[in-house]
Amino acid sequence: MASVPIQFEIHPSSGVPIFRQIMDQVRAQVASGRLKAGDLLPSVRQMGAELQVNMMTVSKAYSRLEAEGVLERDRGMGMRVRTASPTSASVGDRQQELRELVDHVATRGLQLGLTDEQIVAVVKMVLKERR
Amino acid sequence: MMSELIIESQSLHRSFGSTAVLKGIDLSIQRGMVVGLLGVNGSGKSTLIKCLLGLLRVSAGQARVFGEDPWVLSGAAKARLGYVPQDVKLYPWMTVTQVIGYTAAFYPKWDFALSEKLIRRWDLDRDRRVGPLSPGQLQKLGLILALGHRPDLLILDEPVAALDPVARREFLKSLLEVTQDEQHTVLFSTHITSDLERVASHVALLKEGRLALFEDLDTIKDRVKRLRISTSGPLPHSFSVTGALRTEVTGQTALVAATNVSDRMVSDLRSQWDAEVDVEDLNLEEIFLELHQEPDRRPGL
Repeated sequence: MASVPIQFEIHPSSGVPIFRQIMDQVRAQVASGRLKAGDLLPSVRQMGAELQVNMMTVSKAYSRLEAEGVLERDRGMGMRVRTASPTSASVGDRQQELRELVDHVATRGLQLGLTDEQIVAVVKMVLKERR
Repeated sequence: MMSELIIESQSLHRSFGSTAVLKGIDLSIQRGMVVGLLGVNGSGKSTLIKCLLGLLRVSAGQARVFGEDPWVLSGAAKARLGYVPQDVKLYPWMTVTQVIGYTAAFYPKWDFALSEKLIRRWDLDRDRRVGPLSPGQLQKLGLILALGHRPDLLILDEPVAALDPVARREFLKSLLEVTQDEQHTVLFSTHITSDLERVASHVALLKEGRLALFEDLDTIKDRVKRLRISTSGPLPHSFSVTGALRTEVTGQTALVAATNVSDRMVSDLRSQWDAEVDVEDLNLEEIFLELHQEPDRRPGL
């Protein structure tokens, strides 16, 4: 089975380590259903070459995702998305993950002198545009 | 074996006359590491590289490359080493092909397929004489000469300084290919942090002749952050955060760049000062700049 095409975008000059960027994107794609259980990810070598990053970085991201239970190692094949993927995590856990990002939004919103309602309105607007 | 030490230095000093350039460098670089050496102009990057290569003698302390003293490096160790200096100097009367053939003759394991591939990739004219080559073309040729024998250790002094963005990308690609087996070790000095962020596993930062930072790049990005702290009451003049590189206090707000930021530390700050704490990620360039700023700014002090 061919691996899924690489749909990752890396910003090396971000303050977020590249391996975390890869992890976040894999998680997000699993959560959104773009990556399905059993899908084979590009090999460490392919991913490293495609994104032009150190392969150790890719293998670090994969190993951590494996430890988290998002991916599983298929001997001789590579990394697959696990059947029981952690999207089955509780709503509370997933909200907790979002909290950190929202924290930034809240800070910036308050700095801009917006009220709570005005900040929430922006979030709703963004969500509406997604639908 | 990941734990094999390829480069090692202990309390390495080097002075020129009465000017101390390196003031005690302790460095250990293991096999498979790709180390980016950063530092402002005159911070001692080239001097350190030259001491490690045995091109300069250390004034005090010691250096080891492949376990040997670089000043008296054996032929066997030299055969495992590739080096590109900041200014590539080659015989101007030779053609590109001749210079490669001449260099290859010194190495029992020269990889002609690789040097051919790189000539094509970097679009060098085989029949051109070396003399009239541009600095960028010379640098490419220097890289081919250093990579051609697939050295176990590659030392590059500002390898991309003269390269245009296209050639820089091609160079990065080659560097990634060389290092992908995690058996090859690379030490390269550079000013261009964005290149370093793609390829480096570790970053060494020289500041005023000392090693200000030597750490896994991911760890650096995970831990070095800028904190914007704002409280309802004024912050005391003594306000400080452990591991701070720089602290700027003005009334009810503080801006702190710190090296050991964790969730725990941030929540402690929040509760201790009843503060809002905003954590900003920093890229390597920003970290570099933070390390070179005035460490303390407190009006009224």
